[in-house]
Amino acid sequence: MTDPLSATELAISGMKSQAVRLRHISENIANADTPGYRRKLVAFHQQVEFGRATGAVTAGPTRLDRRELPRIHDPSHPLADDQGYYAGSNVDLIVEIADAKEAGRSYEANLRIFEQSRQMGSALLDLIRR
Amino acid sequence: MISPMIAATAYDRARPAIAPAEGLPQGVTNAAADFARVMEQVDLAAAGAMTGSTETHELVHSIARAEIALETAVAIRDKVVEAYQEILRMPV
Repeated sequence: MTDPLSATELAISGMKSQAVRLRHISENIANADTPGYRRKLVAFHQQVEFGRATGAVTAGPTRLDRRELPRIHDPSHPLADDQGYYAGSNVDLIVEIADAKEAGRSYEANLRIFEQSRQMGSALLDLIRR
Repeated sequence: MISPMIAATAYDRARPAIAPAEGLPQGVTNAAADFARVMEQVDLAAAGAMTGSTETHELVHSIARAEIALETAVAIRDKVVEAYQEILRMPV
């Protein structure tokens, strides 16, 4: 049986995943100036239950960006080495902000689907209500 | 001529036909149990959201599900009551 509300479950899974993504983005932005911080990435996976894909999405395990850390010249920094360089973070603020926007848009799209599916379920019931 | 005695016996004979059936059909009982379970879940989700153990997403989802379940139950109840009233209005 196709539940008119089965789409809401998938939309909720999308919203949850986007929320996790936004959390990692905010961690990255908060640590943009932390020396030695590596940018966190989150990969989405299809949710699998009993060996079958349910159609829902989950946020997979966090990975760290392998990109090289930039070497910043500042001899007065406590972490500076003999040449006066220290490793900064490989967070690019512009990339993070763009990613945050994308997460927000994706969240909105899921929200629309949620609302649409709820309205459809309710409209179906209107048929027998009259 | 109809005497009170005959009327009483006729009524006694006709009584089984108008007596309510034993219990509810299986489908209705199951649907009611399902409905109660959905309502229980939304209670749990609401309490969980207050204590912080349930995610807001889950709460919204269970509320949406409970809303549709309640609308379904109300719509079916209205139909049943309407059918009953239709029977009552039947000319005898």
